[in-house]
Amino acid sequence: MTYRRKLLAVFALTVFVSVGAVAWIVSAMARNAFARANEERTDALVAQFRSEFRRRGEEVAQRIQTIAGSDAATRMALALNRSSPDYGAYLNEAKNIADSQQLDFLEFVDGQGTIISSAQWPAKFGYKDASLPASPPKDAFLREEDLPEGSALGLCAMREISGGLYVIGGQRLDKNFLGTLELPPGTRAMVYQNLLNGFSSQLLIDPSGTVQNPERLAPLIAQVQQQAKETEAVVRWSGSAADDETVHAIPLTGQDGRLLGILLVGSSQRAFVELRQHIGSAALLAGAAGVLLAILFSGWAAGRVTQPVEQLAQAAREVAEGNWHTYVPVNSADELGQLADAFNRMTTELLGQRDRLVQSERVAAWRELARRLAHELKNPLFPLQLTVENLVRAREQSPQLFEEMFPEAAATLLAEIANLKAIISRFGEFSKMPQPRFERVQLNELLPNVERLFHAQFHSPERAAIECRLELAPNLAPIAADPELLHRAFSNLVLNAMDAMPQSGTLSLRTRQDGGRAVVEISDTGTGLTPEECERLFTPYYTSKAHGTGLGLAIVQSVISDHGGTISVRSKAGSGTTFVIELPGNLEKLSQSSGAASSATS
Amino acid sequence: MRRIGYLRLAVSSLVLTLCAQAATRPHYGGALRVQLREAPSSLDPAQADTPALGNLSRLIFDTLVRLDDRGATEPGLAASWTADPGGQRWHFTLRSGVAFQDGSALTADAAAASLRAANPQWKVFSDGNSVTVELDAPADSPAVLALPRNGIAKRSGGKLVGTGAFAISDWQAGKQLTLVANNDYWDGRPFLDSIEMEFGKNYREQTIALDLGKAEVIEIPPEETRHAMAENRQVESSAPSELMALEFSRTPQSDDEGHLRQALGLSIDRTLLNNVMLQGGGEPAGSVLPEWMTGYAFLFSPGVNLQEARKITAAIRQPAPWTLAYDGSDAIARVVAERIVLNARDTGLTLTLTTSSTSDLRLVRVPLASMDSREALVDVAAKLGLPQPKIAGGGPEALYTAESMLLQSQRVIPLLHLRVSYGLGKSVHGWSMSPEGDWRIPDVWLGGGQP
Repeated sequence: MTYRRKLLAVFALTVFVSVGAVAWIVSAMARNAFARANEERTDALVAQFRSEFRRRGEEVAQRIQTIAGSDAATRMALALNRSSPDYGAYLNEAKNIADSQQLDFLEFVDGQGTIISSAQWPAKFGYKDASLPASPPKDAFLREEDLPEGSALGLCAMREISGGLYVIGGQRLDKNFLGTLELPPGTRAMVYQNLLNGFSSQLLIDPSGTVQNPERLAPLIAQVQQQAKETEAVVRWSGSAADDETVHAIPLTGQDGRLLGILLVGSSQRAFVELRQHIGSAALLAGAAGVLLAILFSGWAAGRVTQPVEQLAQAAREVAEGNWHTYVPVNSADELGQLADAFNRMTTELLGQRDRLVQSERVAAWRELARRLAHELKNPLFPLQLTVENLVRAREQSPQLFEEMFPEAAATLLAEIANLKAIISRFGEFSKMPQPRFERVQLNELLPNVERLFHAQFHSPERAAIECRLELAPNLAPIAADPELLHRAFSNLVLNAMDAMPQSGTLSLRTRQDGGRAVVEISDTGTGLTPEECERLFTPYYTSKAHGTGLGLAIVQSVISDHGGTISVRSKAGSGTTFVIELPGNLEKLSQSSGAASSATS
Repeated sequence: MRRIGYLRLAVSSLVLTLCAQAATRPHYGGALRVQLREAPSSLDPAQADTPALGNLSRLIFDTLVRLDDRGATEPGLAASWTADPGGQRWHFTLRSGVAFQDGSALTADAAAASLRAANPQWKVFSDGNSVTVELDAPADSPAVLALPRNGIAKRSGGKLVGTGAFAISDWQAGKQLTLVANNDYWDGRPFLDSIEMEFGKNYREQTIALDLGKAEVIEIPPEETRHAMAENRQVESSAPSELMALEFSRTPQSDDEGHLRQALGLSIDRTLLNNVMLQGGGEPAGSVLPEWMTGYAFLFSPGVNLQEARKITAAIRQPAPWTLAYDGSDAIARVVAERIVLNARDTGLTLTLTTSSTSDLRLVRVPLASMDSREALVDVAAKLGLPQPKIAGGGPEALYTAESMLLQSQRVIPLLHLRVSYGLGKSVHGWSMSPEGDWRIPDVWLGGGQP
């Protein structure tokens, strides 16, 4: 990963984390604020409901008071004072009065609690009402009414008429009652009639009648049944949070303190959830835009920061590749500017040092060349000098001897002069090394040719026999190369190997494929080389042999280098030497050379 | 001048005297307007299975025989009759000179066809002027042929024609019916020219119509009878002729269940039901048939015996609750059912009210179809889905035994015998009813009087 990308990633991550943290904090604060607002709203709703409930109770009490003061009630009280009750006369009395006063429950009872007339259960005359309060309460109260089809809750009031006659009645706490309560939008009232032990879904009603999925409220109801105190819980009606409802449970007790019902005030979370989702969406959008902008800004900033570094890196790469003339522009005076300036000074210094090194190497090379030339030339010059001196001496001492010596001396002179010419010719060849002419070459065919060239010498009686082994890889791909130059290079290496094995040995010629490169290994089992010899082996005019120009391996290296390949040596003293030549496929150069050839021919 | 004045006075006195005599003396003419709660969809006598329809049917269709106020058979369309030994096959000789309201003569074939249509299980033959009826069970009298469903009707082209005192003039099913007097009625033309009936009217609508003079005859439910009389209305009531009872849907499945049914019967305060709920509109029932019909007072004590009822239920561990169904459209039925629930609760029995058609027991009201006690018992058993009682012999002992057997099945608990009452406008004269509530319309005439 580049420095710019790392910097970009760090910037982006920092921004992302920052935005995320801010978003979380904002979300948490919004959630808390919503929760507080919802709590306050629910409290307000509950208070409103209590007020509405109280108002309805006052209405009921007012109606009962009206009935107690009516002529019909007074007449009934007077009639009952005069004689035993004629239940038949009052069978429908309570029912008719209840209908006129829009009451669901109405009973006239005497001082002993005996029902004289009942609206909700007309047939119950003569029976005692066991749940009658000892004295009429001032306010409305919750009461369990006994009905033919079961029990029901009623918001009731009780008043004394006169002469020990009481009227008690009220409105049924049913869906109609709940439906008439004025509640704000998004809220609803439910009542659980606690008329049985445990939970029964049929006892839970709302203004529509039955509550959908009533079992969701069972835990809350059970909690109120156990603790008999107000409780609040969030009820999940579906997988959507918008359907959640905050339900406030209020225990409703009768005159005797018994838990008769549980009022459930539900406040829908939909508005809050939708608002929260809206804010969340907006925050997400803003965050995403912020992150995007941050990434763009980070990219721009990273580019600004890393551009000098990248220039330095590019310059360093170019220096590494040998282009020491690389210059890094200095655009600032900060640390990067100082670094760029130091880099420029470094390359300048390196260039100077290289020039000096080249100069010294050139001097050393000339010295070596001079030494080698002197050495090479000195060898044939010495016999020339002796021969000429012998001829001069023979001429001075005896012309006959001179005559006798002259042919032999002339032959010696010619031979040494020829030797001098050969030396000069070899040096000339090195200076005129030709460029390779690429063509398709199969190394597995080239190496056997080299082996055949030296086959006779391997088994020459004048020297110890050398065994030559060809180990050629069958899958070796052809390469583009100059076969003559390679042949000369391989031959040179074979000659070196033969020189290294004066006491016989084994010469191995191996090929193998290494990816797209062909590898040739030429090994001998000769005396081997020291590490120092290995280091200087390819230096021109260096030789470890007693005679030789020291140009053979330099020429080999030059040939291999001209093919884009490499040559290396592995050797250990006494264990032989292996030259490893790696040659690229260079097949693309076939088209270039053919193109060049065709253009040349055209 | 004085002479002329005296003459005028004498003429005026004569006219007033004649008018006064006309207002108090039966005379022909007028239309009697009747309002009923029921809304019949058909006038076919074969479907006359309620008292109101029975009364309607009797106006249009005659039967071969009639029952007098004591329940004895008397000639109707049949002038005479004989029975084969065993009492299953009866031969009726038709009255001569009787014609249908469309003018066609009454024939034995027509009478036989009508009886066959109403009684597919009977074998009915005609022979000349006589009709032979082979009943599905022996009978000691032909009283069954006096039932409204055995009215003789000629069914042709979807029209019904009878031989009764009134003929159908206009009929709108379930809404109204207009009958006109049959001038050629074999038993004499009725006083009324026509009868206009409106159906599907509740009691409140009927009383308003009566008070406004838009109706002369209305139905009064038993529980409203006392109130109507307290308002000085003219009320005519029959003898108790409708059975209110509890009917179990099945026979007891165990001795315990039988005992519980017995306890339920003992727990019900029939007197209170009659006096308070029904406002004295009936009588506590100690039998299936009322006393006036059978001659014997009761088959069991109709009084409440809570002590015995509690003793029975206490001996049974965890009595199963029952569901009690009642007719939701009958207000008095609901109140009575609610009281029964309370009475049962006093003895430890649990009853739950329902208006569903499926229940353990139901509160039923069964009109007694005939003044003939045997026919009435058979009809009650049929309507309650009970086994047909076998009444061996003709004496009251046989009826008593048959009724006892019916009660011992513990499928039915009689509660009350209710009266049938009608409120009459002040212009209605000559109104009378049989003890079972059958109208005697041919004797009715309309005179003066404010509504």
